Amino acid sequence: MEKYLQNGSKTGSRAFTRRHFLKFSSLAFTSATVPVPLLFGGLASSSAIAKGISPQIKNINTYEYQVLNYLMEIALPITGTSLPTPEKISAMITLDQALLGTMEKHLLAELKLGIKFFNEGPKASYHGKLFTQLSPGQAVKFCDNWADSKSPQERGIVMGLKKLVALAYWSNPTTWPLLNYIGPISKRKNIPSLGNAPLPI
Amino acid sequence: MKRTALSQKGLPVIQAEDIHDKSIKLTADVVVVGSGAGGAVSAYELAKAGKKVVVLEAGPYIPSEQFSEMLAVGMGQLYQDSGGQSNLSKDMTILQGACVGGSTVVNATVCFRTPDYYLKLWAKEYGTTNLSTESLTPYFEKVEKNLSIRRAVREEMSDDANLLVDGCEKAGIPWKASRRNVRFCALTGACLSGCVTDRKQSMLVTYLPWATAYGATIYSDTYVTQIKEQNGKVSVVKAEIKDRKTGQKKADMEIKAPMVILAAGAIQTPLILLRSKIANSSGQVGKNYACHPSLSVTGYIPNLNQDFYGAWHSMYVDEYTLPDKGGYILLSGIQDPVEATLNSEPGTGKPFMQHMLESKNLVRFITLIHDRNHGEVLWEDGVKKINYDMHDDDFPYMIAAMKKSIDVLFAAGATKIYLPTFNKMEIQNPSEVEQIMDSLKNEPARYRYVSYHPQGTCRMGSDPTKSVVNPYGETHDVKGLYVADASLLPTSIGYNPQQTVYTLASYIADHIVKNINN
Repeated sequence: MEKYLQNGSKTGSRAFTRRHFLKFSSLAFTSATVPVPLLFGGLASSSAIAKGISPQIKNINTYEYQVLNYLMEIALPITGTSLPTPEKISAMITLDQALLGTMEKHLLAELKLGIKFFNEGPKASYHGKLFTQLSPGQAVKFCDNWADSKSPQERGIVMGLKKLVALAYWSNPTTWPLLNYIGPISKRKNIPSLGNAPLPI
Repeated sequence: MKRTALSQKGLPVIQAEDIHDKSIKLTADVVVVGSGAGGAVSAYELAKAGKKVVVLEAGPYIPSEQFSEMLAVGMGQLYQDSGGQSNLSKDMTILQGACVGGSTVVNATVCFRTPDYYLKLWAKEYGTTNLSTESLTPYFEKVEKNLSIRRAVREEMSDDANLLVDGCEKAGIPWKASRRNVRFCALTGACLSGCVTDRKQSMLVTYLPWATAYGATIYSDTYVTQIKEQNGKVSVVKAEIKDRKTGQKKADMEIKAPMVILAAGAIQTPLILLRSKIANSSGQVGKNYACHPSLSVTGYIPNLNQDFYGAWHSMYVDEYTLPDKGGYILLSGIQDPVEATLNSEPGTGKPFMQHMLESKNLVRFITLIHDRNHGEVLWEDGVKKINYDMHDDDFPYMIAAMKKSIDVLFAAGATKIYLPTFNKMEIQNPSEVEQIMDSLKNEPARYRYVSYHPQGTCRMGSDPTKSVVNPYGETHDVKGLYVADASLLPTSIGYNPQQTVYTLASYIADHIVKNINN
């Protein structure tokens, strides 16, 4: 459709990269929009990741990292697509620094309890296994079961954690081209600013 | 009425980084707390009337050229608690702007006059007989002219909105193009993260620069801690100026003023009064909270290749908005892929990734209900608490709203509907709608609620035992202390409230100026 734009026609998609980091705080378990300051920049070296947890992870310990990293792995499978892996776009670093980094202390403490509760959740149904010990198929099923649990706490925790990992991944513009989403357009199309409105007469 | 030149772009704001003294003491004719819809209008009208006006804004000043056009980034920049503000049950996100310009910087521009139905209801039940369609029409018109409010044309509508229009027409449901406060909209679809090119007529590019042209001074990063009264009259405003990066206090501020207008929004305004322990002989401060809870129903439309641009709220259906007609409004809203991660549950893993890859085929219809004023905003142990859950008696309205949304989406060609639930819930066929929707129960942590319109927490009324402020916005208990934001609304109004707030703020300011002149 023809749009009433100041300038030009639609451009083709191209990767949008920018270095930026914003402090923010958020609740992990709210049911809607969670803020995600974007962390752009160079792609993470796969060899650095292969050596273990990045030194840039500051707000969660190894246990919590393993839980969230495994959740990210089973919640965001990219096999069969040309999407970048979460590792390639440093999604765990985005999650740690952007989503957890400036969270209010009492909220981060709540989140950490939630991570533990979540990780221990499968024990009753999976012969004492932790979430991180489940097979990918079991892990997916566990998440879906908790999403429909009779317990509001279980529903809230699994939804909140899944949102965190999803946002850490999909807020990165590198993931957008396959979605037909160009992203910010004003500067790309040199749309001029109108400035302040004139004083009322 | 001394006036200086209006700056062409930007706003002269005194920010925390500009402050070097540890203590700032001022005097003013009027202190306005909050720089959003009500605060900015109040500041302009009173500065234009020759008053020395100081505006105190707790949030930062973010010039429009720093807006990102990315919701994920905008949340951290411009929103209260970086978009993470929620109810106590943590299943409803409550979005408000927290920056110079307030929620007007991040809203979706849609404007509605206050329905005559509510003005009559308020007059009858709350004694606000001075507020009628007749008395407010001049103010509606003034605001519409000042903010360039006009109805969107079809060419401005987003792809998803045009699809919903087709669905409404096929389903025989009347629809309307939104009335929006924009000039020459660039249709970026980025309203919710601030308008980079100043086309959204937010307070940042209208009433605030106009107020400064008439001598008003604006402080950002300035958090009001207390308002004091003396002998039943407002006397002093105390505040702290905080470093934006560290959150540490940089300076104490004290302003002596015979008039204070509280316009910090329906959550912060009552908190200020509660912390100050004033103006609450009625016990109503913080009570009667309502917030228009909303949900998004998403449809999968084959062969749609939308581009996520256009007027953000392009169209709406208000055939059922008044309480006796259904109590809900439906609005289109561009759902970019980042937001799409939040609104539905297609299932963990591959189904979710497939859902995301289908973003260009996903259209959502936003349902928003007129709710009861049954919530409360509290200040306990130094922490804000918003005690509000979906009321059992309101839940059926939400179900009815979602059913109507689904009708439109199926009529528009949807082959699958995703419900906004925590668990996976889909509807594949219109014949399934009634059974599935009627099976839904009002439960905590089950639905992905968002609220954009907190209101009601310092309600207007003529009875000082049942209201916080009188029908002219002045608190019953403290002379010179006014409220001019959505806290005033005696009931929820079922429509996006920004024009109501602009109008009431204009009316209250006019009344103040007339009283001063008399």
